[in-house]
Amino acid sequence: MQHINRREFMMGCSAAIAAMTGSKLSSLALAEATGSQTLVTVFLRGGWDALSVLPPLDGKDRGFYEAARPTLKVPVKGENKALELNAQLGLHPSLAPLFELYQAGHLAVIPATGMPSNTRSHFDAQEYLELGTPDARTSPSGWVTRFLTGTKSGNVADLLSESLSLNDELPTSVRGNLKAVGFPSFDGFQLADDAEYRKFLGNALTRLWDGDQWLQQAGMTALRAVDTITKINAGEYKPASDAKYPDDSEFSKSLQTLARVMKAGLGVRAATVDLGGWDTHQYQGEKAQGYFGNLLSELAKGLAAFFTDLDGLRGTTTVVVMSEFGRRLDENASYGTDHGHGSAMLVLGGSVAGGKVYGKFPGLAPDQLFDRADLAVTTDYRTVLLEVMQKRFGLKNSLDVFPNFKPSAALGIMK
Amino acid sequence: MGDLEAGQKDGLDTTKDGLDTTIPEPATIASHSRRKFLRAGGALVVTAAVIAGAREANANLRGFSSDVKLEKPLLSTRKTGKPAIPALEIVVFNRLAIGWRPGDLEAFRKLPGNNAEKLRSWLELQLGPEKIADPDCDAKLASLESLSKPLEVAWTDYYKNLDEKDEKKYQKMGIPTLEARLATVTRMVYSKRQLLEVMVDFWHNHFNVHPERDDSIRPTFMSYDRDVIRANAFGNFRVMLEAVAKHPAMLRYLDNASSNRAGPNENYARELFELHTMGAENYRGVGRQRDVSGYAQGKPEAYVDDDVYEATRCFTGWRIDDNIDEPGFNNTGQFAFFQPWHDRFQKTVLGRYLPPDQPSTKDGQDVLDALATHPGTARYIARKLTRRLISDKPPQNVIDAAAKVFLEKKDAPDQMKHVIRSIVLSKEFASTWSEKIKRPLERFVSGLRILETDIKLNEDMLWTTYYMGQALFDHRPPDGYPDYREAWASSSGLLRSWQFMNGIAQDWDEKYQSGVMKTNANRRKPLEIADFWLERLLGRKPHPLEIRDDLIKFLADGGDSNTAISDDEALKWRVQSIVGFILMSPDFMWK
Repeated sequence: MQHINRREFMMGCSAAIAAMTGSKLSSLALAEATGSQTLVTVFLRGGWDALSVLPPLDGKDRGFYEAARPTLKVPVKGENKALELNAQLGLHPSLAPLFELYQAGHLAVIPATGMPSNTRSHFDAQEYLELGTPDARTSPSGWVTRFLTGTKSGNVADLLSESLSLNDELPTSVRGNLKAVGFPSFDGFQLADDAEYRKFLGNALTRLWDGDQWLQQAGMTALRAVDTITKINAGEYKPASDAKYPDDSEFSKSLQTLARVMKAGLGVRAATVDLGGWDTHQYQGEKAQGYFGNLLSELAKGLAAFFTDLDGLRGTTTVVVMSEFGRRLDENASYGTDHGHGSAMLVLGGSVAGGKVYGKFPGLAPDQLFDRADLAVTTDYRTVLLEVMQKRFGLKNSLDVFPNFKPSAALGIMK
Repeated sequence: MGDLEAGQKDGLDTTKDGLDTTIPEPATIASHSRRKFLRAGGALVVTAAVIAGAREANANLRGFSSDVKLEKPLLSTRKTGKPAIPALEIVVFNRLAIGWRPGDLEAFRKLPGNNAEKLRSWLELQLGPEKIADPDCDAKLASLESLSKPLEVAWTDYYKNLDEKDEKKYQKMGIPTLEARLATVTRMVYSKRQLLEVMVDFWHNHFNVHPERDDSIRPTFMSYDRDVIRANAFGNFRVMLEAVAKHPAMLRYLDNASSNRAGPNENYARELFELHTMGAENYRGVGRQRDVSGYAQGKPEAYVDDDVYEATRCFTGWRIDDNIDEPGFNNTGQFAFFQPWHDRFQKTVLGRYLPPDQPSTKDGQDVLDALATHPGTARYIARKLTRRLISDKPPQNVIDAAAKVFLEKKDAPDQMKHVIRSIVLSKEFASTWSEKIKRPLERFVSGLRILETDIKLNEDMLWTTYYMGQALFDHRPPDGYPDYREAWASSSGLLRSWQFMNGIAQDWDEKYQSGVMKTNANRRKPLEIADFWLERLLGRKPHPLEIRDDLIKFLADGGDSNTAISDDEALKWRVQSIVGFILMSPDFMWK
């Protein structure tokens, strides 16, 4: 299988799919004490094709699926066949490293996830999901920010930094948190190489930036983050046991940075990681191979390496994988898929009751589709997130995080 | 991104006693002042050996503790309040220009009349860029080979005629894009037509194209910049909209070039509604067209998915004259309407019925007409431009007034000039401050302008903008770089701006030589030096005012603020340091 060469991909291939590529560790929140729980949200930007991620294996739905996707269907036998999650749904073969974790009981799969909004706009959908308020964009804060404040146990003032964002542009989900910090990786994340000069500049900048206005606060956060990261970054990093991060993956680099911060004993409460490139309007790849398969492979290898690397932190870490929507049932004339509705979520962690498909696959008959075109939504993404927050973080009032949302009964994803 | 010399000494070590001040800690700072830590386009790479020794003892002040786990967070304690609204010319050159060059503020102050009159005459001058002689900038651009090549020539030279086997094919293809980037940064830094550059930046983000998305876009991007964006920056929105729609760069970027009746591609049509005209604020999702309020009167107040699908059909056959083997096609790279691809049947878009078999591009033109004159578009453009020119929280009355002008002048060839006047001459323009911050590209450009730093036209400076977080014409999704402050206050963004600003003040990077000491001339007294540089770099007092005292104390180094600094090395170190401090301060960031 050909590896994704990002430069070639961006420079050479068809136009549509190059949007929203790249990966970054986009935010990271630190706890007041070590040994706490960690929630990692992996956001797949561009709308991943959930029907290729979790293809139906049998029955009428398989018939509808094959008819709608003559080129793109994931085969059920032969080379590159779907991995069997249960009798109804399979997993894309490029997610094999995650299938192992599924079999080991660490990975839960939820098909047909999403939100009530019917938007098919990337920007709307991402905004709504990250604000946690479908169809309303007026919230001054994102759900991660509200989750952090809603599950706080100690004194606010004791927090080192509520949210470090490893990104130049902070994601919407941490909006409203002026202590959010951004940086793409450890490289160059210090004021100067020389320790004494670094201290000199740090003191000077502190003097210049100390103040109560929002920009000054952002500057002070930056100074604190720089100081912290400079220290964490001292020395070489060796991933635990046999964790093998793919060399040429930005996504894996982001996860490795995250693992390093987590292991530095700062107690990460929340982090968000972005992986883009899912807007596959053209040449998605036949028979579970090609572009889309390569991207899934990057995702799976990265997550599997991260989970291995976490080592002793596996039990306290929960990774949630989500995207802004799924894609249309029918493939288009360019061998790709257009924006759709129902998506899929994955939940990975040592405390996940994995090895099981949760929720309900709504079916692919025309009447079962959303707008007679797309996979419908049967599980609100907020129900999944709330279960993690309530069972692992002791969130008491779900309305603190998702206002105006009445969650369905928890699916039982978390132990 | 280049090499590193972390911790390397360059032989200029001269430890001087008595250089420590209230700001820095140790007396040995001078020994590190000349280390070239900022190299190769601002790349700064960590070296483990240096950091391993960085556990500073006795450094537990203001949160810089030596432990990884910081017990006490560095929460700010100083109550500074909001900075005062500065003089009009400071607002003007921060928001209608990309910073100022020495002399610009004085020239504005010398304009006749009161402030309102000064602003009006400065604005009118800037709204007529063709009348502003710009020889210095023009001379800088003279070496760019693709600068004025018409689209068809560029298509031929950089695409059609390239030899498949040419090893440099890929590079040659990208010459117009590379040069468009170089020319744009150069114009931002050197051009006297500053408001034009501000608007060019605005429109490039509004009608964002990522040239690396497809090989065929790269040869056409200089033309896109010149013939579409610059040609219409102060012009008529409807004219610009069509120029965008028909340019091969946009046709390829949003896939319309391959959209046909058998396989329609909605990518362009969707962004046309959502990003180019009405905006997501006027989008109602799935829903039926006839359920939108105003539909019955032929004036729906919003759009739904069906409008996008119907518009998609209208634009089928709008493609590029490339190497398709069909009569009438000559591979010129220009826009072409290909009838066999066009969906000929009737359509309904935004309450307008478009009959079947309209001649050639009429369907698409009708959609552009409907969108360019829609009140939702007027509000969306007015809000976006007000946000750019005044505040991240744009005042509603200014938006309303600008939207009204937008509609009233919809047929005027200089429609956008009227809209800009409406925003800039509002009373809110000069009475709003610190609601926005400079984006990284503006930090980069304004720093170079005020220090009169000489730059060379090469890729290094593009790397610097990349490193600072806002590479020019490098935003991949079609929404353009965000224009709200939170997006640009991340830690890495601030850190990299600090690194850059400090670097240009100290001449650490051979590519960015500022010559601060030459500008400082014979000033040797701390008080005089501090006031000179504060006025030059900020045009005003710092906020809070005590920063001035800090600078003076640092310069005086325990001595008297009116006593000349006698040692040349000490003078240089201190002056360059405070220039760096001022450029790194929040005052240089607010706009």
